[in-house]
Amino acid sequence: MLVSIQGLTAALPPGADRPLAIEDLSLDIAHNEIVCIVGESGSGKSMTAHAVMGLLPRGVGVTGGRILFDGVDLLQEPPEAMRKRRGREIAMIFQDPMAALNPVVVIGRQVTEQIRAHRAISEREALQQAVDLLGQVGLKDPAALLGAYPHQLSGGQRQRVMIAMALSLSPRLLIADEPTTALDVTTQAQILKLIKKIQAQRQMSVLFITHDFGVVADMADRVAVMRLGQVVENGTVAQILDRPAHPYTLALIAAVPKGASAPLDPAEGTPLLEVRGLSKTFRRGGLFSSRGAVTAVDDVSLTLNRGETLGIVGESGSGKSTLARCVIRLLEPDSGAVLLDGTDVAKMKSGRLRPLRRRIQMVFQDPYSSLNPRQRIGDIITAGPRAYGEDTAAALARATEILRLVGLNPEILDRFPHEFSGGQRQRIGLARALMLQPDVLIADEPVSALDVTVQAQVLKLLDEVRRTMNLAMLFITHDMRVAAEVCHRVMVMRNGKVVESGPTHALFSAPASGYTKSLLAAIPGRGRL
Amino acid sequence: MMRSVRLFFAKPATIVAFAVFVAIVVIALAAPLLFARGPFTIVGMPLLPPGAPGLLAGSDVLGRDMAVGLAYGARISLLVGIASSIGAVGIGILFGAVAGYYGGLVDELLMRVTEFFQIIPSFVLLMVLVAFLQPSLGATVIGIALVSWPQVARVVRGEFLSLKAREFVQAARTLGMRDSRIILTQILPNALPPILVVGSMMVGSAILTESALSFLGLGDPNLLSWGSMIGGSRSAMWVAWWTTVLPGLAIMATVLSLNFISDRLNDALNPRRQR
Repeated sequence: MLVSIQGLTAALPPGADRPLAIEDLSLDIAHNEIVCIVGESGSGKSMTAHAVMGLLPRGVGVTGGRILFDGVDLLQEPPEAMRKRRGREIAMIFQDPMAALNPVVVIGRQVTEQIRAHRAISEREALQQAVDLLGQVGLKDPAALLGAYPHQLSGGQRQRVMIAMALSLSPRLLIADEPTTALDVTTQAQILKLIKKIQAQRQMSVLFITHDFGVVADMADRVAVMRLGQVVENGTVAQILDRPAHPYTLALIAAVPKGASAPLDPAEGTPLLEVRGLSKTFRRGGLFSSRGAVTAVDDVSLTLNRGETLGIVGESGSGKSTLARCVIRLLEPDSGAVLLDGTDVAKMKSGRLRPLRRRIQMVFQDPYSSLNPRQRIGDIITAGPRAYGEDTAAALARATEILRLVGLNPEILDRFPHEFSGGQRQRIGLARALMLQPDVLIADEPVSALDVTVQAQVLKLLDEVRRTMNLAMLFITHDMRVAAEVCHRVMVMRNGKVVESGPTHALFSAPASGYTKSLLAAIPGRGRL
Repeated sequence: MMRSVRLFFAKPATIVAFAVFVAIVVIALAAPLLFARGPFTIVGMPLLPPGAPGLLAGSDVLGRDMAVGLAYGARISLLVGIASSIGAVGIGILFGAVAGYYGGLVDELLMRVTEFFQIIPSFVLLMVLVAFLQPSLGATVIGIALVSWPQVARVVRGEFLSLKAREFVQAARTLGMRDSRIILTQILPNALPPILVVGSMMVGSAILTESALSFLGLGDPNLLSWGSMIGGSRSAMWVAWWTTVLPGLAIMATVLSLNFISDRLNDALNPRRQR
């Protein structure tokens, strides 16, 4: 065993939602092995990784157990000895490479600094090593990259730089804390492949933290499932995926969207919403200068019928959110038409648009910023009707109904948003949209900030609501699996243009474009779950 | 709310500052009850030291009771400080909110106006304004408000720029809410903490500015303020220290306590400073 965690217990500061961050956790990592810790937010998986690094946040203290690294208890090591081990023997990569890299220092310097902190070599030798490392992690033209600043690189390139830095001292254990969560799916696939390749080449051990069972299926030799600070199940990847024993593991695996149950309702008649040749270009710069323009949406057309869900799928920067914001007129489209029941709202003046706004409503991505923190739930969800002159009492009466519809207790009306979990907040956001009895509901990544079990519940709710209220739904997502689960038809976007579109089942089973094929191929854990 | 109050009083220095400020406010409010004869009444020989019979703080160059003057001066200082700050915050919110919310050309225009006020030495502008309006209490308040709002406008604009991008504001727009309602009910309440801090800081600096104006004789000639007390006694500075030092101390105590309070408000109202 390289690492043997035995009965590790760590206490959270008083006033936290539970007393222990990690409770009696035991876990072994053998030489040349990838161990995945999988769990939902707050399960203690990141805390465990940080405990191994000796970098627990202030206020969290280890109260029991041992972390044996090659036979030495890391918890008994003096701070200076632990500092020397970090980077040299145990290295770590993080979720957000932009935050982990210093934005004002060039890449070359950040890599050499790391090397020279541990080894007495000259700047020139360190630079040579840096070039080698950057080449090893698959970065093209590493010599040129040395002078680049982090913001000049793409997300995938930044994560490769982070990996190169982590590898610079040939550590024996690499801890990867959700290293691909912030990346697009095709980039994620490349990074996962890279980590696997390097692990095999260098015979390292890897502790891989993730929330995604797809990633687990692709990466892990062994898996530990964590919940509320405890390991509920621990075994080889085959055991956990094929014969999960604990009901929580079963629930987690069941909640992973499989993309198999695409709804097949008939959708006919004249379209309720039609978008024709919509374009939107962002110009940067102020009044007197223009520093280039980005065409975010380029001549996009679509139709949407009542009772139908159209998925718009694409990676970041594909223009899917800009398209949605142009349709709902949060952004002004440059050209094209948005026909709602035959009326063009794309260029309508705000005064005439106002009465029509209620017919298109939106559910937002971030459950934490989409509700005004200073207003009570009752004020938030009746704001729409009140804006149209409905009196407060009537609106509140309807609010109770709608809250029940979205699965919330109507007694929450006088509480504040911070008292609710992410999933509950998304339900409140949905209730706010439904209060106006819209015809079209735009859901902009409504589940991407949620844990997988909550995600499954919210997706189910959205589908139910679409049925009961006969809504036309525009569903924006980056996740092909989610799209496959809720959409009748799917439209794939890239760089502002429509790549292809069609009925979900046909498009997934026989994609016409190479891009769609690569998106589908990049889904983690494909065919394994 | 309770959390903010508890955080506010977490440091002893804040309690002292708050107590000093409350004491000054009480004295100011009670001055006409305590000293009905008014600050201009001559009560005895000039330049009697503090502690002379019946004269707690001595008498000034004209033989007026210094204690009465200090109490009445507090009324003017606080009135000018608070009224001009309210005015400045009002103008600042108007400019900052409109500029930040609408952005684009409106923002450019309003910010150029703001900068126009910021690049002129504000005290010179203030003297010109007050001289032009004829020295009076109203002119002082209006003048100070007119030279100090740009600071508030900048803060408000920054807050609005970041808040308007938040999804709850976008949600309000998709609900069909009017711009004025979005500004007043959605964004402004969330922008209030920094505005309150700037506002309370401004009361202190307005009091200083008023003192300087009065010292130069540009205050209201019919009212006694701490600044005019110092200005009127400066010839006796070397023979009767109390005539200038006492009003000076009063100004210092007020401004210092206000600065402590606003510093602490900043911590207490800032959710990121939770500990």
